[in-house]
Amino acid sequence: MANPSRITLQTASSPLPASKPHRLSFKRFFQGEGPETGPITLVQRRVYILPSKMGIYFATMMFVMLLGAVNYTNNLAFALTFLMASISLVSILHCYRNLLSLRVDVGPIPSVFCGDTVQVPMILDNQQHAARYALKLQFYQDKRQESPEFQSYIFTDVGADQRQRCNVPVRTQQRGLYPLPRVTLRSSFPLGLFQTWAHAQRDAHYLVYPAPTQKHDLPNAPSVHTHLSGDRGKGADDFAGLRTYHHGDSLRHVHWKAVAREQGMFTKQFGGDRSEELWLDWESLPGMDTETRLSRLCRWVIDADASQLNYGLRIPGAMVPLGTGPGHRHHCLKALALFNADANVSNDVSSNVSSTGSTP
Amino acid sequence: MSAFISSLKQHVHQAKSENLWLLAGLSLGLFPHFARLPLLITLPSATLLIWRLLYDLRYFSLPPQWLRWLLTLIAISATYTSFHTLIGRQAGVGLLVIMLCLKLMEMDKFRDVGVVIGLGFFVIITVFLFDQSVFTGIYMLVVVSLLTTSMSAFSREFSTASQWLNLRQANTIMLQAVPLALLLFVLFPRLPAPLWSLPSDTFGAATGLSDSMSPGKISHLSNNNAVAFRVQFDSEPPPLNKRYWRGPVFTQFDGKTWSKPSTYQMNPVDEAAASFSYRTLGEPVHYSITLEPHNQKWIFALDLLATLPANSTLSPEYEIISKHTIEQLIRYPMSSYPDYLLDVDTLPNPAIYLQLPPDSSPRARALAKQFRKEAKNDADLVQIALLYIHEEPFYYTRQPPALPDDPVDEFLFDVRRGFCEHYASSFVFLMRAAGIPARIVTGYQGGELNPQSDYYIVRQSDAHAWAEVWLPQKGWQRIDPTSMIPAARIENQQDLARILPDIAQLGTPPNWAKAAWRQLQFGLDRVNHAWNQWVINYNDDRQRNLLNRLLSSFGFGEIDWQKMITLLAAGMGAVLLLIAIFTLRSWRRPQRDLVVIAYTLFCQQLARRGIQRGPAEGPVDFSQRAQQLRPDISPAIARITALYLHLRYAPQARSTQRNGKQAPPKQLRHLQAAVRQFKA
Repeated sequence: MANPSRITLQTASSPLPASKPHRLSFKRFFQGEGPETGPITLVQRRVYILPSKMGIYFATMMFVMLLGAVNYTNNLAFALTFLMASISLVSILHCYRNLLSLRVDVGPIPSVFCGDTVQVPMILDNQQHAARYALKLQFYQDKRQESPEFQSYIFTDVGADQRQRCNVPVRTQQRGLYPLPRVTLRSSFPLGLFQTWAHAQRDAHYLVYPAPTQKHDLPNAPSVHTHLSGDRGKGADDFAGLRTYHHGDSLRHVHWKAVAREQGMFTKQFGGDRSEELWLDWESLPGMDTETRLSRLCRWVIDADASQLNYGLRIPGAMVPLGTGPGHRHHCLKALALFNADANVSNDVSSNVSSTGSTP
Repeated sequence: MSAFISSLKQHVHQAKSENLWLLAGLSLGLFPHFARLPLLITLPSATLLIWRLLYDLRYFSLPPQWLRWLLTLIAISATYTSFHTLIGRQAGVGLLVIMLCLKLMEMDKFRDVGVVIGLGFFVIITVFLFDQSVFTGIYMLVVVSLLTTSMSAFSREFSTASQWLNLRQANTIMLQAVPLALLLFVLFPRLPAPLWSLPSDTFGAATGLSDSMSPGKISHLSNNNAVAFRVQFDSEPPPLNKRYWRGPVFTQFDGKTWSKPSTYQMNPVDEAAASFSYRTLGEPVHYSITLEPHNQKWIFALDLLATLPANSTLSPEYEIISKHTIEQLIRYPMSSYPDYLLDVDTLPNPAIYLQLPPDSSPRARALAKQFRKEAKNDADLVQIALLYIHEEPFYYTRQPPALPDDPVDEFLFDVRRGFCEHYASSFVFLMRAAGIPARIVTGYQGGELNPQSDYYIVRQSDAHAWAEVWLPQKGWQRIDPTSMIPAARIENQQDLARILPDIAQLGTPPNWAKAAWRQLQFGLDRVNHAWNQWVINYNDDRQRNLLNRLLSSFGFGEIDWQKMITLLAAGMGAVLLLIAIFTLRSWRRPQRDLVVIAYTLFCQQLARRGIQRGPAEGPVDFSQRAQQLRPDISPAIARITALYLHLRYAPQARSTQRNGKQAPPKQLRHLQAAVRQFKA
């Protein structure tokens, strides 16, 4: 993190940060700028505007009205046509303003199980003294795989001088770590005659856990219900001690009093020790294909965590030592999500496939 | 009652706002048409409008598909029944109105609302085809505002903000659009003629003088206060007894109706102009007339005209006849000689001025013979006849009794109560019966000065009929028999004021309420006059004159359409730029969050020493990095960071984010003090 070279770079280089040449390109028009670090401010060159369908219909209408006015030499008809045309022109500015200078950022993205929808927390920071209305946010997703009931966009307003957080859905189809696609902000406010849009892509990633299988008994399930020796099952009740703050710790567990005393950031730890130890092992599930195995392991991790067992995970290429708690659960699920079949168990899988293929 | 209101409020709350704004705008926009169209169109349209409103308020459901088709068929046949056609202005508007209302029955998609809003604007234009008054203009501005509001509501269907915001937004945009629209209105090049010919019913019925005169034709105008035309004198206006505005002249009488001979041509050949013979005396008066449309070809002017307006000809009876029907307001400059001699030497065609229907009105003929016996010459005979009207008990009334059989005899001998047309008609009959060439002239008399301005208003109630007789050595002489009636025999005070203004002024002074009312009317008329001149009658001529006058001082030279377009583009660009600066400039307000202000100061202190906080660097990471780089001030960095973190992220402080005023005062003060003392 502490990066001296960065400091020297900042002070030594020219005052303008090096940036890509901003020439007009169709790629930018349709796809935006590509992933970027830090909050994205929608400056002029990023915000586009074109007439909407309704705008084109209105333009046709105004042309007919102008013809009528000319032919009937009716000055009030002229006046009305001109007023409408002027209203449309002014609405361009208002429509453009609705997106201009908005800062777009993304919050921590929650990981989800495959098949669920990721609610990506987008943070829209309006630092201007005018509200923005009816912004439509939508992530770029493969349209062909879109199911009709899935609503891929959300609408939101951002008040003047307000920071608005809104969850924009992303569909998941496969486990793994994915770069966040570009989000497109659209608005046809205030009159619907024009549509303005801007692309923004943050260099964030989201993690998709494997989809858990149906409820399935834990392997050599320890009799959880009779053996409550450590805590009272609820967990996280008994204060166990302090440790230094780690990124990701719940803010509710920070020892604020110590912070106020300027002793540093500490996290309060709760819960008791489990006597049971449970290893969730890849090898305990032979004869299944990779994804099913991962799904089964995923189910076990969820169940073991729910039962507050002291569990660990062993899969080819990765091992998560025994542990408990949400952080531990995440580590396990992450290992499952990132499991690379080709790199780790290519032999295993191929043998599996060949065996199922060859044996009649 | 209050329960009903609260339930209604609930319904309004549930309804789609853009539909409510749209329905309000449409109802107001359609109203002028409803007042004008036949009931067969109005009633179903209004019903459909109300139906839609009740649907939007969730009281009713919309008709099913088959019923909509049936309604469409009924609507078309209703239009056809009312107008016997589906094209033309009246029928077209009828069809537009009823079809628009029908469209409301299937307005459920996004697209449909857009279509209906667009048609709503179109309806306004069709209203302007019938009525271009100031009031209509302002009224329609309200409709535009409502329709724009519905567009605003439509464009943020998913927004939760208040509905009044849409109204405000729409009006802001409209206000900013007004200067642009004004520029367009003034500078958009106008064409002198329509692009293609218009259907015959393009312009509506208008009141005014007609092309024949029978008893009752003019008196029906006597209560009509509508303006016929307005006159602006450039020189001293002539006295009232010379302010006769000449209109159609009638020479043929069938016993009841005065008309033009059947051989009369509305567009006389120009050779006729060669036979005009007149002599002018004295100075001409110069003036310009703004004539309201009257759907005839007459153009009015004072006797005796010295110039002809563009696109018009002069008939042998000294009527000005326009080449086109006066369907829209026109304005023309004129000059006239109030003193003149006309056809002094010879009368070209005396027979037509002596024509009388055979065997009609025997008593009048007998009276004429008697006059002839008494008179020394023609001029004397005219005086005798006028004296007869003055001395016999003739009355001037706005409600003349019916004259069913022989209007001339019955008026002269039995009834003796009548309007100007009765007097003029009977007088010309008597003259002709006595052998003096005579003709009826209709037009307007007088006109009222608008005391708040400098122009005269001539109303339909000023419509008048008088006589012209031809006397040897004197030519055509204007004789107004109506003016011979003594004041005591004029029933109506207003008429008295018009016919005998000197006497009327001695009457009782009007009370203050009446005076104020009159002042108000004059004020309104002044607005109307300005509106007519600058809005309704702003045509290619006026545009060129105005722009030439405005731009000559800048050495711009003669204006043409290229220059107009250039000016227009430049002006619009400038105005848009102003609005853009006003709208798009960043309204960035100073940071109000005191916690952020303090922490930013701290970061700036460190940045000055080369420790820059990265764009994605959190406060904890930054603090650790800074402490490593500057171990000497490590405690201060840690303390400030800790205070900042606490104020920012501790649960009790989080709710006050972005609102520095409400941050816990003690810790905030500590942070501010720490930052003040902090010297990197």
